[in-house]
Amino acid sequence: MTVLEVEDVHTYYGESHILEGVSLEVDDGEVVALMGRNGVGKTTTIRTILQLTPPLNGAVRFRGTDIVDEETHEVARRGIGWIPEDRRVFAQLTVEENLRVAVPNQDEIAAGLELAYDAFPILEERREQRAETLSGGQQQMLALARGLVGENELLLVDEPSEGLAPQIVATVAESLADAATQTSMLLVEQNLPLALDLADRFYVLDNGSVVDDGETDDVSADSDRLRRYLSA
Amino acid sequence: MINTLLAVAPELVPLALVDSFIEFLHPSELSRVLIDGLSKAAIYAMIAGGLTLIFGLMGVLNFAHGSLTMVGAYLGGAVMVLMVSSTTGPLARVAFFFVAVAVVFGALSAVGGALEVTLIRRLYDRPPIAQILLTFGLTLIIDELMRIILEFYDIQPRADWIAAWGTKPWFLSQRLSVGPISVRGIALFEIVMGVLTVAGIWAFLTRTRYGLFIRAGSEDSEMASALGIDVRRVFTVVFALGTGVAGIAGALLMWDTHWGASVPLGAETLLPAFVVVIIGGLGTFRGTVAAALLVGLVDAIMSWWFVNEIKFSGLPQLTIFLILVFVLIVRPQGLFGVEEVGGH
Amino acid sequence: MAISDDASPEDATVASGSEDAVTTTQDSDASGWSAWPVRYARDHIVHLVVILLFAVYPGLYHEATTLPDGLVIPLVDVQLALVFQSFLPQVTTMTPILYFGLFAMSFDFISGYTGYLSFGHAAFYGIGAYFVILVANGKIPLLASGTPFMVSLVLAAVLAALIAVAIGFVSFRLTGVYFAMITLGFAQVFYVFVRGWDWVSTTPRDGVGVSFATHPEGFRIGIPYLDSASYAIGRLTGSGIDNFLGMFDLSTNVVSFYMIGLVVLVCYFLMQRIIHSPFGRVMIAIRENEERAEAVGYNTFYYKLGAFAISGAFAGVGGALFAGYRRSVTPENTFYFLTTGDALLSSIIGGLGTIAGPLYGRLFEQGLAEFLSKGSEGGGLLPLLQELLSDSLLGTNVLGLTIEEMIDVFINGRASLYVGIVFVLFVLFVPNGLLGTLRDRLGGPIAKVVPDRLFGGERP
Repeated sequence: MTVLEVEDVHTYYGESHILEGVSLEVDDGEVVALMGRNGVGKTTTIRTILQLTPPLNGAVRFRGTDIVDEETHEVARRGIGWIPEDRRVFAQLTVEENLRVAVPNQDEIAAGLELAYDAFPILEERREQRAETLSGGQQQMLALARGLVGENELLLVDEPSEGLAPQIVATVAESLADAATQTSMLLVEQNLPLALDLADRFYVLDNGSVVDDGETDDVSADSDRLRRYLSA
Repeated sequence: MINTLLAVAPELVPLALVDSFIEFLHPSELSRVLIDGLSKAAIYAMIAGGLTLIFGLMGVLNFAHGSLTMVGAYLGGAVMVLMVSSTTGPLARVAFFFVAVAVVFGALSAVGGALEVTLIRRLYDRPPIAQILLTFGLTLIIDELMRIILEFYDIQPRADWIAAWGTKPWFLSQRLSVGPISVRGIALFEIVMGVLTVAGIWAFLTRTRYGLFIRAGSEDSEMASALGIDVRRVFTVVFALGTGVAGIAGALLMWDTHWGASVPLGAETLLPAFVVVIIGGLGTFRGTVAAALLVGLVDAIMSWWFVNEIKFSGLPQLTIFLILVFVLIVRPQGLFGVEEVGGH
Repeated sequence: MAISDDASPEDATVASGSEDAVTTTQDSDASGWSAWPVRYARDHIVHLVVILLFAVYPGLYHEATTLPDGLVIPLVDVQLALVFQSFLPQVTTMTPILYFGLFAMSFDFISGYTGYLSFGHAAFYGIGAYFVILVANGKIPLLASGTPFMVSLVLAAVLAALIAVAIGFVSFRLTGVYFAMITLGFAQVFYVFVRGWDWVSTTPRDGVGVSFATHPEGFRIGIPYLDSASYAIGRLTGSGIDNFLGMFDLSTNVVSFYMIGLVVLVCYFLMQRIIHSPFGRVMIAIRENEERAEAVGYNTFYYKLGAFAISGAFAGVGGALFAGYRRSVTPENTFYFLTTGDALLSSIIGGLGTIAGPLYGRLFEQGLAEFLSKGSEGGGLLPLLQELLSDSLLGTNVLGLTIEEMIDVFINGRASLYVGIVFVLFVLFVPNGLLGTLRDRLGGPIAKVVPDRLFGGERP
């Protein structure tokens, strides 16, 4: 069953034509990696799916329903979660408040918090601290936890390992793998070994369109097929 | 005293200054200045509070805020004038006042919400100056409509509405004394109202779910909407709330003889409100409260000095702008501001 | 930052650093129109037409409002003269439109072209106004009270420019809303100061004025010290000219109109020249993308200061003319922030970023105000409707008021309401103002496009 279907979308920033006909799919339970050099349109693809920057042409279907031009909060409520680049946790709010905001139903806040603290005990330790006091890795976990408690079927994860020390990346990778057992995921990641490890399938983006796709089992981080489009 | 000395014997001025300083430190004077300052701070906090909520979340600098405060003053006055007769006892009057506050809050919130939905909303994609201009135009319209209504009922728009003063309970018109300390009753009342309002807003922001949405949206409205929050509707609620609070401030001012309900009240409250918001740091409620305290107290101190000692009556009004200029030079983002300068 | 944030085509070429495009053409194959004065007239035809319209306005008004009573609009039986009198602004309204228009144009000069909104612009207007009057009252050291008006005017402009540099030095460290608020703060400081300072006058709250005893004949515009080449202006005083060009007797109002108009015209052309010069191009570059302008190598701080000083100077001239005409000014009609508000109003209605727009905006707004004012003040709607509608219609009761009463309550003297509504509508739907929208329709500044369309030919 297809969770997400992006069909031939074209997205512009002002006059710039960023996405020139991007198509991809994510099936139930899959982790799909979206890879490419800086600036090819990976984040724009995520933003397009969320309708933060709606496409001018093309379709975006979530479980069969076209969601183009819906309000972002409506898209989110359908069960699509966003773990953005730079995490974007609410710095002035406490860890617990950050989580509360993400739980869709007021009655389920207690359950949601329990879920988050189980998965990330470090967050429970710091529950009353302002999010800005957390380290990069901890903020990433908070962002991920937000995605989990939001009752999402699909998580759009953008560069989770960016700016993190290697040991932290390993922890984050573990958390992502755990999350992947509960939801489907579209993962934008420049860290090739991490991406290929987590994902079942991949797409490669170049100059605003998909130029290659396949099973991650068929490639490795140093294969030429990938090196063509990505800086090693 | 210092003026005459300056003219006659300049060498004696330092002595006179010391003299004045000693007088200043006397408990009766100090307490008067303190209460005066706190009451001013309370007023500024209430007026600026609404403004900062709106700006923090939406980036809208609401020029119509002063006019809406003025409408609140008249509406509150109207409710009081209708309900209070000469035989009404003082406690009953206070009770009626809270009824008036409720009416004003409800009415002004509704007006604010309506304005947001019909007009302000259309300008979110435009540069911020468009909202300033629109709300400036609204001020003109609101002021003129009020004048039409007032003149129709034979009420002088430019003068303070005396009938509204008449609805005050006696103990607020007088000074209350304990020992050497004597303070204006209305000043204490304003402090109480100010504290209640600020506490109310604070509780709303920190203890309620909606308050959480507002704080999250103020920080990062994109991320908030990606978490399922209908940021547009939150905007409307905040604008309505901010306007409602402005109305309450107005209702309070109708009783204060230093302000009074008159059409110029709009302009008189708008500029200090802006200044307080900017000094505190655009968009932080905490900053606004801190700035209100700073400005209120400095204003009261300056008033005492320059009215009693140096006869330049305009200087207290200058104070607020001098503080603004000083703060913007020294710390452009305001006391608690986190925005990059010029971010809005 | 500016409302009209899509630059017109000319601005785009100008901002990219190409040569000044507004020059006379080189082509010699345009049919024989090669003589220099003729070429100049062609290129500036729009300006000439506008100036001509302003120049004949007093005569036009006089003729239109003194048409014989018999001349009526058929079917409605209303005198043509009355119609014209209702709709056309009086000459005494036109003169303030000119000098305030200059102030509004100076506001546009800085706010529309650099994108920095000068919410405290009234300060410079006030400085100009107060300086002139204080000189005439002998309060300024080194300047005799008999100093010619033109000299005080120029000095006022210089003073305003210097103060602009001082204010700008502190304020330009900020941008956007902060810049607007700090300049507003400075202007309010001036306002409160001038209101309480008894050196300025014995009753500073009421403002300053020039008494008839010391200056019976009013201020003179023209060549200073040469009485024959200057004319006194003033709403109540001032010279009339008899037998102008052997044909007309000009009243004092009309003379004021022309002399002030002359000064405003000169200032307008100066501002225009500056905008179309390399300096002006940098100003526009600052508005479009200040970081890029810095990166390219311009010291934007100095350019901003310079532009601010220039705009302050012209605002000062506007204020000086105001004082010269009215002979007395108050803190409220000079330094108070609503004065800047009026300039802002005129600029939005006319078009921000056009220089001439604010003048037309003021004309529109004041024309509307007069139209809606009471009949005794040159209005208005009420006298016209009184003629147009039958007495019985005027007397009909609607919701407890007669129609006539309703007009009196809701329309007479309520210009601010309708101007406010017009303003809000403009902000929502016509953000580029009248002139700005016209430019968008035609594809460029009017002064360029019209000659092109009329006379064809190559233009760089």
